[in-house]
Amino acid sequence: MSEAPRQAASPRDGDTTGWRWLGGWVRLHARPRASERKGLGSLRLAETTLLILFGLLLAIATANDVRQQTHVNHRLNADLATWRAVTGHNYHSIAIEQDVKEHTTRDTVCGNVSPGGPKQRTQLCLRMTGPVHADRRKVRGGYYLPPRSEDEARLRYGCFGSAVQAGLCVR
Amino acid sequence: MSAVAQGQPLAVSGGREGGALARWAPLLAGVCTLVLLAATIELVLDGAVGHSALIPKSPSIAGWLGGLGERLGFRVFLIALISYTAAYAGLLALARTLSARWAIALVSALSLIVFAGPILISTDVFSYIAYARMGVVHGVNPYLHGPQAIVSDPVYHYVGKDWKLVATAYGPLYTLISYPLGLLGLVGAVWGMKLMALLAAAGTLVLIWRCAPVRGLDRRFALLAVGANPLWVIYALAGAHNDLVMIFLTVLAVALMLVGGGVLRRRGPVAALGDAEAGTPGHEVGVTGAVATTVRDEAFAGAAIVAATLVKATGFVPLPFLLISRRRLAPLLGAAALAVVVALVAYVVFGVHGVNIVAALDRDAAFVSTDSFPTEIAHLFGKPGVFPVDHDLLKILLVAIVLHLLWRTWRGYDWVAASGWTFLAIAVTSTWLLAWYTLWSLPLAAISRDRRLLGATLFVQVLFIAHQTAPLWAPVS
Repeated sequence: MSEAPRQAASPRDGDTTGWRWLGGWVRLHARPRASERKGLGSLRLAETTLLILFGLLLAIATANDVRQQTHVNHRLNADLATWRAVTGHNYHSIAIEQDVKEHTTRDTVCGNVSPGGPKQRTQLCLRMTGPVHADRRKVRGGYYLPPRSEDEARLRYGCFGSAVQAGLCVR
Repeated sequence: MSAVAQGQPLAVSGGREGGALARWAPLLAGVCTLVLLAATIELVLDGAVGHSALIPKSPSIAGWLGGLGERLGFRVFLIALISYTAAYAGLLALARTLSARWAIALVSALSLIVFAGPILISTDVFSYIAYARMGVVHGVNPYLHGPQAIVSDPVYHYVGKDWKLVATAYGPLYTLISYPLGLLGLVGAVWGMKLMALLAAAGTLVLIWRCAPVRGLDRRFALLAVGANPLWVIYALAGAHNDLVMIFLTVLAVALMLVGGGVLRRRGPVAALGDAEAGTPGHEVGVTGAVATTVRDEAFAGAAIVAATLVKATGFVPLPFLLISRRRLAPLLGAAALAVVVALVAYVVFGVHGVNIVAALDRDAAFVSTDSFPTEIAHLFGKPGVFPVDHDLLKILLVAIVLHLLWRTWRGYDWVAASGWTFLAIAVTSTWLLAWYTLWSLPLAAISRDRRLLGATLFVQVLFIAHQTAPLWAPVS
């Protein structure tokens, strides 16, 4: 391959190397250009306007998401406080599962019923729904899980309240 | 030679305001520099303690730092990230008043601090190592099986739970490059991956440093815009992400087209530009500011883009813009030659699945992350998330943007900027957005003449960071 440097293109002429065999009109339109044609100011303005509008949409969507997530975090804090108040255990290793299937505000909060590592003891799971009042939420039902187990339908037992109606316990 | 090309601090001209800026600039720059360094050190030292949701489970590689920090919580992380971002913005505003040495020293220090520390934020590097060890230690094809196939391997326990069943989505060139690292053992492989990321990042910054003056841009500003960027340092470099390798190859292609093969030599194009400006023999400088390139440079540029594609499929983006802009055969031939060679090797080593990088792209395009902009917009309109029809609409939007950019490039628009816009459009329209995806466009934006691209890229990054801050306003405890 040639090592000779190619002459850089000028904005007026473009680089015509290799395009001389083409006819005048084709050469004019098909040759590579070193810079854009004049008269694209309105296009640039339209692009910039669209960019700003799209940026505004993204900014509003982001702010809305942060606001929503902040609300969710308030709710989760209320869930944790409610679980601690109901059980009388001030534990920190408590798991919260949100309702990602139906996108409701129903959360299930599980924690040990006696001191121990996370999920190492029998766990009490409480189902909470409704709005936050005085940093607490209403407990509508719940169930138990055996030690060292995940929250799987086949392992749940001792359902009460809404968990019975929802048929969450199979044994 | 201009002060910009020399990298000397520019004299701040003007009346009283300019004089005030000149007086306060060193102090402000010093404060910003200290904040960047302090935030980075804080994250690394606290990260080295481990036992944090922000630090992936990892073999002990930074244990010697562990006694100096405290467990990294969301609050400290977010305060450090926001402080870093504010200081970065301040430093960019002051970049033209800094010396070249200051800028280089700062970027080098930030890079080395995170290099010495633990893996932050992401488990991806353990997936890279798992795929390498699958092939080179266990004889399992990483394009057919996920890390689940090597449950007994020590790296398996460190792979993210969402990725244990997933075959590699990376290109065959990257998989081949990573194979030797798989032989180094787990800790050796982690350091190998960290070193690869560091070298790729450093290489990208050197190329940006050399390209910026050729584009008539301040190279200190360009260097800091990329090398001190919070997502570049704290997410990509500290996570040893292979996106940095893809970005390096992309920027290499751009550099070869802008300044020629001299960009790889010690006496690089800036010196060549200086020679040309002084009327001495060297590369010719065109009216556009670009140093003329040879056919070989163009062929290598095409090959570099294909290499980037064979690391990560999105690396393909600049190729159509380059071809449409230059309308010469050499980049196409270079691209085709490397594609054929690597495809043959990949076929022999991995079979047909190693060649089909589009399949992995299709699979990943269906993923949804909570940080993606389409998800946020869906939430804004009261939907719980994105649906299949939204994926189709986003693809149509992306195609429309790319067609518009191709048309503009045909009419002479800067192909580097067009490539950067496309990278940014992919990140913004993707339903699976990770921090390092917003970096694809950053190096091109830093050396693009269309400054809107840099503004848009940094704006998207600020939104990404802002979206992480909910735990700061309402911590869950």
